[in-house]
Amino acid sequence: MLKLPTPNIGKISILVAILTWLALLFVDITRIFQSVNQMENTLAPEISYILEILFFILVYIFYNYSINKNENIDFLNLIWRGVSTGLLATLISFGISIFYLMLGESKLGSDPLLSNFFYHVNFAFITLFLISTSLLWKHLILYQKSKKVVQQWQAFEVLMLMSMFFVFINKNDFDYSFIFGLVFLSIFSASLSVNLKWIPYLTFKEKWKSILFLVIILVCTTFLFSSLSSYSDIGVTSFVNLTDNLFLIGLFAFVFIYALFSFLVTLFNLPTSSVFEQKLVEAINFQRLSQSIKPGQDESQVLDILIDSSMSASYADGGWLEILDKDNIPQMIQKRFIDEEIREEIVALFQTIKPFSEFDWSLEDNDTKKFYGKIPHNIYKSAFLIPLVVNKKTIGRMYLVKEVRDGFNKEMINIITTFVGQASISVENYRLLNEAIKTERYKEELKIAQRVQQSLLPKELHHNEKFEICGFSVAADEVGGDFYETKDLDEGVFAIIIGDVSGKGTSAAFNMSQMKGIFHSLVQLKPNPGEFLYKANIALSQCLERNHFITTSYFLLDTSQQTIRYSRAGHCPTLFYDHSQDKAAYLSADGLGLGIVRNANYRNYIHESEFSFEKEDILVLYTDGIIEATNKKGEEFGYDKLKSTFEKYKNLSADKIQERIINQVYQFVGEGGIPDDDFSIMVIKFNP
Amino acid sequence: MLNIEKRLENDIWTLILTGEIDASNSVELDAAISEVVQEGAKSILIDCAALDYISSAGLGVFMSYLDEFEENNVKMVIFALKDKVFQVFHILGLDQLIIIRPTKEEALEG
Repeated sequence: MLKLPTPNIGKISILVAILTWLALLFVDITRIFQSVNQMENTLAPEISYILEILFFILVYIFYNYSINKNENIDFLNLIWRGVSTGLLATLISFGISIFYLMLGESKLGSDPLLSNFFYHVNFAFITLFLISTSLLWKHLILYQKSKKVVQQWQAFEVLMLMSMFFVFINKNDFDYSFIFGLVFLSIFSASLSVNLKWIPYLTFKEKWKSILFLVIILVCTTFLFSSLSSYSDIGVTSFVNLTDNLFLIGLFAFVFIYALFSFLVTLFNLPTSSVFEQKLVEAINFQRLSQSIKPGQDESQVLDILIDSSMSASYADGGWLEILDKDNIPQMIQKRFIDEEIREEIVALFQTIKPFSEFDWSLEDNDTKKFYGKIPHNIYKSAFLIPLVVNKKTIGRMYLVKEVRDGFNKEMINIITTFVGQASISVENYRLLNEAIKTERYKEELKIAQRVQQSLLPKELHHNEKFEICGFSVAADEVGGDFYETKDLDEGVFAIIIGDVSGKGTSAAFNMSQMKGIFHSLVQLKPNPGEFLYKANIALSQCLERNHFITTSYFLLDTSQQTIRYSRAGHCPTLFYDHSQDKAAYLSADGLGLGIVRNANYRNYIHESEFSFEKEDILVLYTDGIIEATNKKGEEFGYDKLKSTFEKYKNLSADKIQERIINQVYQFVGEGGIPDDDFSIMVIKFNP
Repeated sequence: MLNIEKRLENDIWTLILTGEIDASNSVELDAAISEVVQEGAKSILIDCAALDYISSAGLGVFMSYLDEFEENNVKMVIFALKDKVFQVFHILGLDQLIIIRPTKEEALEG
């Protein structure tokens, strides 16, 4: 499909406007030519009127477009645009007058065709000036618009549009209906002209500039109006009078009235403008203070803004700010326009002044304690002190001093109190945010540790067709100190280990990973359980902290001989179920935890046992988290309950037995209860 | 919650433990023992009649003093352990290394 380029409304409208103007010129010149040569007048004045209206509308479209395009220009620039077109139009009009003055009484000077041409030029530029300035005024009127003002403006535009067509009824007679229309439009313009909300936002300097600009516009408007009236006065009969048009005269009135109002209001606003500027600065400062400090930035930035805005709000001659450091000693962090020597003098002075001799940093109601008044100092005659309070805790104090007596009034105190309140909130937010970021980082680290540790627990447990085995472990915190492992030692022999590192959490998790390493190193040597414990104890003695130990049970399971050799190093006794006798009992063997006796004497505490197993016998290995799981009444799960629970489910498969025991423990702990120690369990069941 | 009361009677220090010892307060126990050792105690009795629970971290504290006490001839006796708490010592095997007595009288006898 053919894609049409988006039409540039600005260019098209100005082009068509120029063409319209040329047509208008042509029509009027033809008419004059006919009348000069006494030919029949074939061109009705309505043709000129229609072209004129078309010209107005096109100029309106052009300026509407070009102003809207530059939406963000400031007020002064807007007015300047009006001024520049006004000056241009005036200059051209003035130039034409000079030109005619120079021609004097010559033939060319009275040539109707030439004068008609200049008349059209003048008319075009006046139209440009009036329409563009009206649209500028529209922008100013609609600044901070309300619905009512918008409706009023729209009504005005409709009226102006209607006034263009007035010429058809009126035939350019300066009659009562014309005067009535003009008065009506003027009153409407005046009522629109009270919308001057933009003026207070100008700075003092900008106000002066805008006054100058407005005066220029007023002068231009007056001059152009008078030069147009002079054309009407010439009264060349063959002219189609383009300028005695209600629309154009109405625009003159509007542009003039609004410029006049603006001028007067700006002038009278000059003396109070500094107050308004001050309030505006305070509002901006308040906003800056309330913006929370971004992470990575310093809170001193907020304090910097605080003291600057407080000083400008109170016109203070000097000031400083002290903040408690980590050791709760006040440190001066911001100082403005005051010598250190004099500052120290004043601080010493404050020690002797009553309100703050009672001041105590640790009190909770410091935010109500402000001091302002005279101080007996030879330079600074009045002072203001305000504490910075965050969460009822005083974090600092701000001092402001002035060279005049009673320099601080209620308004200043109020605004500074608000500043201080807002700054305190910002500082608090900043500190909270920093805390939160830190905590978040720790959490992240723990998550990583958790993932690493989970990968340390075996996913597959070694076994053969003679038995089934399963294991489960859960940590009380993110990471824990329980572990279990298996190893296939060939020829139907399996090493199985379960253990528990003392303590819990991160330290336990580190030691657990060491133990895992030790297991995998030693198991390759295929040691007897006793030998394993002895060597593991030596290895751990090198790396465990003095108050840490590890309990473990180590099993060698020989499926071809149907025997189990095991040693217990302080670990919870294993529950063994003898199927032939239908009896479950805890295997009692003496032993001592690893890392408790860190020398060769440890050998004396190692005991190794061996027994044989039959088909359908069961071993339950676990850690003390299960035994010590506590319910709401403070009772422990204990050995008896573990045994009775097991006996209830002994006929199920290994993983089902494990599942039931875990469920039972959770049920015991209670709804929403969490185990406060790591707990693990392994179930080995020999196949029938 | 753990409460530790220290008493000195006839050159013998007695620490009376009340409540539970877990990872969070085992440092208090450590501090109490080391304080008594600083005082130059040669005989320390630990009264556990009101001790309801001891975690592995608590056991670790007792354990960490074993070598030091042996070297310096300091005698530490734990007495009046509740059954459940004694079990914890027993299973770990610490009862082979620490003198544990049922009553204070027996503890004083050594």
